[in-house]
Amino acid sequence: MISLLRIRLALVVAVLCLLSSCTLGAPALKLEDSVIEGKVIWSGEVHIDGIVTVKKTGHLTIEPGTRVLFEARDKDGDGIGDAELLVEGALIARGAEDAPIIFTSAAEQPKASDWKYLYLDFAREAELDYVISEYAYSGLQVHFCRARVTNSIFRYNVDGLRFSTVSLYAAGNRIYGNRHGLRYEERGSEARLHHNDIRDNEIGIFVVTRSDDKARIEQNNITNNSQYNVKLGWQQPGGVTLPNNWWGISDPVAIQKTFFDRQFDDNLGVVSAPQVLTKAVKLSDWQKHEGATP
Amino acid sequence: MSTIRILFNALLVVLIITGLTVSSAQACVGKTLVVGALDNPQQQVLAEMLSVLIGERTGTTVKVVSVAGHAEAHDAMIRAEMDMYVEYTGVGQVIILKEQPIADSDELYKAVKERYNQDLNLVWLKPFGFSDERYAPEGTVAVAAPVVRKDTLKKFPALARLINKLGGSIDDPTMKELETASAAGNSRDVARKFLKEKRFI
Repeated sequence: MISLLRIRLALVVAVLCLLSSCTLGAPALKLEDSVIEGKVIWSGEVHIDGIVTVKKTGHLTIEPGTRVLFEARDKDGDGIGDAELLVEGALIARGAEDAPIIFTSAAEQPKASDWKYLYLDFAREAELDYVISEYAYSGLQVHFCRARVTNSIFRYNVDGLRFSTVSLYAAGNRIYGNRHGLRYEERGSEARLHHNDIRDNEIGIFVVTRSDDKARIEQNNITNNSQYNVKLGWQQPGGVTLPNNWWGISDPVAIQKTFFDRQFDDNLGVVSAPQVLTKAVKLSDWQKHEGATP
Repeated sequence: MSTIRILFNALLVVLIITGLTVSSAQACVGKTLVVGALDNPQQQVLAEMLSVLIGERTGTTVKVVSVAGHAEAHDAMIRAEMDMYVEYTGVGQVIILKEQPIADSDELYKAVKERYNQDLNLVWLKPFGFSDERYAPEGTVAVAAPVVRKDTLKKFPALARLINKLGGSIDDPTMKELETASAAGNSRDVARKFLKEKRFI
């Protein structure tokens, strides 16, 4: 009788152990300096302590709910963490509303610049949906490639979302709590950004240099950025036009005061905001406007 | 012949792609500029002023580091461990260059600027607009100005013009006010407030 009970108990314990191992999932993946070639899928928890490069031949898929944690290590002492994810191949990071993919610092008390960036450089393919990127130098940098970024959050970074020389489509994103919300050097970019919240950063949009007013930044909420809603960099003599946006206020003169441009320095261009919207855009409406000209 | 041409073209393409990759990568976080400051309120607030101005107008990351004295600061510049610091003309002439004192302020500035440029590859930019007797060796004056490595100015061609905006913007009474505020509080905040009030940032 006692031995039968023992057997039953052992069976129950075994089943519980099996169940718990299924629930807890696989142990965290730990990566130092490494390269990804061929198809790789990340899920669960991934720790990065170094530079992980998705090579041209690599195709990285990140599953919903994945947490990618970057070690806050600054070996060269430049004040910027060394860990980064560099994508030269393909990155498909499709999270879900209730299971976003998170790129964050592994530090107990995280801060901006704990890690370097998620960097798309000559990437073959790049799609980010329902991603959160925080505590980096740049939440996302996109250069020399085509990328689509939707429904994502970029917060608590030096630069939230940064690009140059790209074809970038960004809609439905929330960009807040950064030093620069959106930062770009146009350099021929075909960027289209609409239905984004760019708010509560120090600088909402920082147009650094070499911009020919071709980026289409329309139907966004650009509000409450503590220093300036828009700032032109030292070498941006050309004007920047940002039509059809909501600035939190409707008075054109008051809106103009939130820009750092020729009003401050004769060498700079003029920021203009024609056709001011009279109310905030609803971010969830972005798909209705995807193919339309705002 | 055609094989050599194909190999040459292939090598050219590789070099161009490599060059593009390297230049784009460098452009994206970029070199962190290092500004040196001696351990006193005047030096701290002026270094922070350079740091905030450059950082906020260009987006470049700038770090302020402490140095023990003028000779140490100069050595760090020569060793390329620092990109710039604030020096005084009298100190440059007598302590660093070990030349005879020059009493005339303009003549002294011209003399140190020329020697630093020719012999040390260091560039004196426009003086801030104040002088400080505490830093003047006997028989000279001490006009303060940013000194920048020539290599740094080559890498950041717009830097000289930007820093020169501060030229003549701080007279003696203003420097005293800034120094007092810097001694009592946070030098970076004091520098930022000054730059904001003057509409530099």
